[in-house]
Amino acid sequence: MRFADLISETLYSLTANKVRSGLTVLGIVVGIASVIAMVAIGQGSQASIEQSIQAAGSNLLTVSPSAGGMSGPGARASGASVESLTREDAEALAGLSLIAGIAPAAQGQGQLVAPETNANAQFIGVTPAYAEVSGLTLTSGAFISERDDAANAQVVVLGATLAADLFGEDTDPVGARIRSGNMLLTVVGVLEEKGVSGFTSVDSAALIPLSTCQRYVTGSEYLSAITLTVSDEEQMDAAETSVEGLLLERHGIADADYADFSIMNMSDLMETVSTVTGTFTTLLAGIAGISLLVGGIGIMNMMLTTVTERTREIGLRKAIGADSSAISAQFLAESITLTLIGGALGILAGWGIGALAANLLGATAIITLDSVLLAVGVCAFIGIVFGYYPARRAAALSPIEALRYQ
Amino acid sequence: MGSAAPVTPVIEARDLTKVYDGAGAETHALRGVSLAIAPGEFTAIMGPSGSGKSTLMHILGCLDIPTTGTYALAGQDVSALDDYELAEVRRTTVGFVFQAFNLLPRSTVLRNVLMPMLYTRVARDERDERAAAALRAVGLEEKLWTHRSNELSGGQMQRVAIARSLVNDPSLVLADEPTGNLDTATGDSVMELFGSLNAEGRTIVLITHEPDIAARTHRIVRLQDGFIVEDAAIADAHVRQYGAGAIPVADDALHPAAAPDGDV
Ligand SMILES: Nc1ncnc2c1ncn2[C@@H]1O[C@H](COP(=O)(O)OP(=O)(O)O)[C@@H](O)[C@H]1O
Ligand SMILES: [Mg+2]
Repeated sequence: MRFADLISETLYSLTANKVRSGLTVLGIVVGIASVIAMVAIGQGSQASIEQSIQAAGSNLLTVSPSAGGMSGPGARASGASVESLTREDAEALAGLSLIAGIAPAAQGQGQLVAPETNANAQFIGVTPAYAEVSGLTLTSGAFISERDDAANAQVVVLGATLAADLFGEDTDPVGARIRSGNMLLTVVGVLEEKGVSGFTSVDSAALIPLSTCQRYVTGSEYLSAITLTVSDEEQMDAAETSVEGLLLERHGIADADYADFSIMNMSDLMETVSTVTGTFTTLLAGIAGISLLVGGIGIMNMMLTTVTERTREIGLRKAIGADSSAISAQFLAESITLTLIGGALGILAGWGIGALAANLLGATAIITLDSVLLAVGVCAFIGIVFGYYPARRAAALSPIEALRYQ
Repeated sequence: MGSAAPVTPVIEARDLTKVYDGAGAETHALRGVSLAIAPGEFTAIMGPSGSGKSTLMHILGCLDIPTTGTYALAGQDVSALDDYELAEVRRTTVGFVFQAFNLLPRSTVLRNVLMPMLYTRVARDERDERAAAALRAVGLEEKLWTHRSNELSGGQMQRVAIARSLVNDPSLVLADEPTGNLDTATGDSVMELFGSLNAEGRTIVLITHEPDIAARTHRIVRLQDGFIVEDAAIADAHVRQYGAGAIPVADDALHPAAAPDGDV
């Protein structure tokens, strides 16, 4: 049989039996599309979660005051803040070699009175380093400077949402004045919207110099957190150990179990989250595997139910002079063609469904080569085995036996 | 060549037996059949149902192999051929017409007739020519050629099947009850077609139940219980065209020992 004849015979045979071909292709499409879509959604959401952690900075260490062991000297009721970290602690940490940036911060609530409206807001007392450590950018004005901090200056940088709440969307509030308690704050900058990443949203916060905050808002010399950036992401654990060591020493605590602070390591968090989202992806892949099985059984069913009809066709073809290899070639070509068409449509459908669903979930679908290869491989295997193997067996029959096949 | 055999027989079968082993019981469909048919003969095989006619025909057409016995087709011993060689013989030497037509129902008439040439090396243009010639020879109007074969009447389907059996220009045409599924008038016209094909020199063997049909051939072989019980030339066979002095067919065919041994 010539190759051109093989192709033309295959296409003719497939189009002459549209229903049969269509259903087989459908089975393949369902099997492949479900696997690809599921895995794409799983991996997409995993990536987007990881990305938002990454955006917050995976090289961050956050030191917060906390009660130590149950019988520790600073033990308080859980949830209550502990006063243990000071600006001097932060300055001391700056001497550590792996630490690139240090942002001590204090927090407190306050009522803001703008000319038009009032708002309750979170004050964050910061140093200039805070902008870089937290990855903040400004839409207008300038950030809090060293001089502001040194002079207890009454200046404020507004989060994007807070600025809009107080002054409206379209007004640039730089230069405006806000009263809060016995402070009269001048707006010096507005932050770009950051979205809900990280743990405290700066979008609705009012950033003032740390010294100003300690003096007018919290009224204490203690900090609510020290955020550190580590120069080398690979050395997060080493950095954490050295920070812990230095602080324990400074606070005169011998046993780390009684520490009056805790350190959160972003890369640890990231690992935890990855494990969780990985489980989620595996779960989706499991569901996809079941769809693949169902699709595979569909393909198998289609191929096998046509065996009777096709056995007679094989008998006929043999009776008029086809040999077994010509028969095998034809059926193999048909199976491969169906699998290719189904595979291509399945990949497209899976990609489409994945993209759509991921979009609804607020993530981006990620099509991985693995999932495509797995799905196509399994369907091709089933399609070819169940399309080709019965044909091969029928081709081994004598033409008369094949023609008599019921 | 021995002087007793100036012409190589198209069919030379000796002591053919066929045993089917079905569920539990063996069926002896052929119990020792010997038959010689010369080129250009037009032979009818008759016999009651179950007498082994189809079984014999399938062996003669290389669609099946005998349990024992030898069979030479156009001088070639085919008893020992493998699957591929048998396929080649079917492709080049035999045209087979089935009672049930056995067309591919969803394929067009033309496609059905072209099918046997798929497995040959005939060039495309020539295939189309040959298919058209065969369809014209069986008298099928050209407007039907692009119809699906399941849209045709029984007579038309059998014409398509005959055209299909002819496209590879076989030296032997075998037909298993070709008129069995047709009404009398249609059967008659199909027989006319076979008559004219034979007149052109083709060797034809067909199976039939009907004496009327058999009477239009030149020789009748009667089977019963797997044996040949009668083999006779039709008396008034003035239309016989095959070679003068051809091998004796009527009586001697019952005694294949008389046929030349060294000829195979
Ligand atoms: N494939 C087969 N398997 C088992 N028995 C068969 C098979 N084909 C035919 N037979 C049996 O062999 C005998 C001869 O059958 P067949 O050649 O079809 O007879 P005819 O064509 O003369 O009616 C019958 O008894 C039939 O039942
Ligand atoms: Mg029969």
